[in-house]
Amino acid sequence: MPEQLSIFELIANASLLVQLVMAMLLAASVASWMMIFQRWMFLRKVTTEMERFEEHFWSGIDLRKLYGQLEGADDLTGIEKIFVAGFKEFSRLSEQAGADTDAVMQGVQRSMRVAVSREEEQLERNLPFLATVGSTSPYVGLFGTVWGIMNSFRSLANMTQATLASVAPGISEALIATAMGLFAAIPAVIGYNRFSARVDVLMGRYETFADELTSLLQRAAHARQVKRD
Amino acid sequence: MPEPLSYFGNLGQWREQWLPLLLAIFVHAVAMSALYDGWNPDFEVENVVTPKFVNSKLIVMEPKSKPKPAPKPAKEPEPLKPIVQQVAPPPMPKPVPRTTPTPVKTQPKPDPDAIRKKAEQEAKRKAEALRQQRLQELSNQSFEDAIATEDENFDDVTEEGEAAKSFFQAIYDQVVANWSRPPSARNGMKALLRVELVPTGDLVNVTIVESSDNPAFDRSAEQAVRKAGKFEVPKESALFESKFRRFNLLFQPEDLFR
Repeated sequence: MPEQLSIFELIANASLLVQLVMAMLLAASVASWMMIFQRWMFLRKVTTEMERFEEHFWSGIDLRKLYGQLEGADDLTGIEKIFVAGFKEFSRLSEQAGADTDAVMQGVQRSMRVAVSREEEQLERNLPFLATVGSTSPYVGLFGTVWGIMNSFRSLANMTQATLASVAPGISEALIATAMGLFAAIPAVIGYNRFSARVDVLMGRYETFADELTSLLQRAAHARQVKRD
Repeated sequence: MPEPLSYFGNLGQWREQWLPLLLAIFVHAVAMSALYDGWNPDFEVENVVTPKFVNSKLIVMEPKSKPKPAPKPAKEPEPLKPIVQQVAPPPMPKPVPRTTPTPVKTQPKPDPDAIRKKAEQEAKRKAEALRQQRLQELSNQSFEDAIATEDENFDDVTEEGEAAKSFFQAIYDQVVANWSRPPSARNGMKALLRVELVPTGDLVNVTIVESSDNPAFDRSAEQAVRKAGKFEVPKESALFESKFRRFNLLFQPEDLFR
């Protein structure tokens, strides 16, 4: 059956180094697709949770009650964690007798900043891997191709009659490495760009939320201080 | 703050790690199967079509036409072109005069264009007359018949026929390889050339039997045969005599798009 002369046979006939390169690229491609799906699901989840929480938050609910709902839960997502971190610090510091508003607010801001940067870490997880695959796998593939073509031309030197048929299979199998490199790189680059843009958007919203929460808490602290005085 | 170190702990191993892996593997499986399906058809088609680079046809006249060019073998040992020119003057409009206007002959002389043009016109007129005559001459073995019988010739399944076929294929390939068509070549042009060989395979004579009315095209066809020069011919003299001493080649550019 002529169908047996397939791309897989070409790969099987390739030299060891080219096969290694191909295996590496295949692994990189599978891993980067895995990261893409994982990031995609994660970011989608984070975004929907954030929208739900913000809606809840601005619905006029008592912050103390909201904190009570969230405190014990262990499946908090990004924005909830920021809220919990800020509010916990606020209630702790304001319970202390004689704490002045500035000191309380500084503490709250610090703890929220920590929470935000921790969230950023979570959001950007695995993105450097995608960037690496996207930028290096074409070169790796090209290396495999160059090596394969080098070998097929070198074997041409031993032949008395140089025909196209004697080099074409070698070149064809070598080019598979470049194709695989591109196959791995293109989704990785697209995924990286897309996800880092979404991470930027999310980070912007986290910071906005942290600022809004700070101003709310400051107002509350100020009112309390006025009442105490 | 008892914050979990990562989201993976919270959201479940399966959803966070195995599902993406399965999806990634699925994507690759789809890509590979698409590649596998899409890879073969082209490959096969490319393999099957071997000798059809140029659709010019090789037509072999049956040796019936042998008596007709009887005077020609006499010219064999002599150099080609002078003979052609000597033969030209006689009023008998044989195929030979047709070749007179080829530039190879006119160039050596310091001919002005006018003479050449005149010669060409003359040749054209002669060729026209010649064609009419030739068509009648060939009667049962006419041009169209030749085309019609071509397949039969090639379907000859006797051992001798097989051998002849492979030799003709080789000649055909050799001529086609040497053929550079002029830019004025168009689909539908046909030039029929008579090729004469000696048993060593050397070319003795090539003449235009049927002009395409385009001198450049005729010349290119003639040049293709001359360039090829020497052909592989069968060793058995019976086969050579019957099919290779004299045969006709039809030049026909069918693969052009204009």
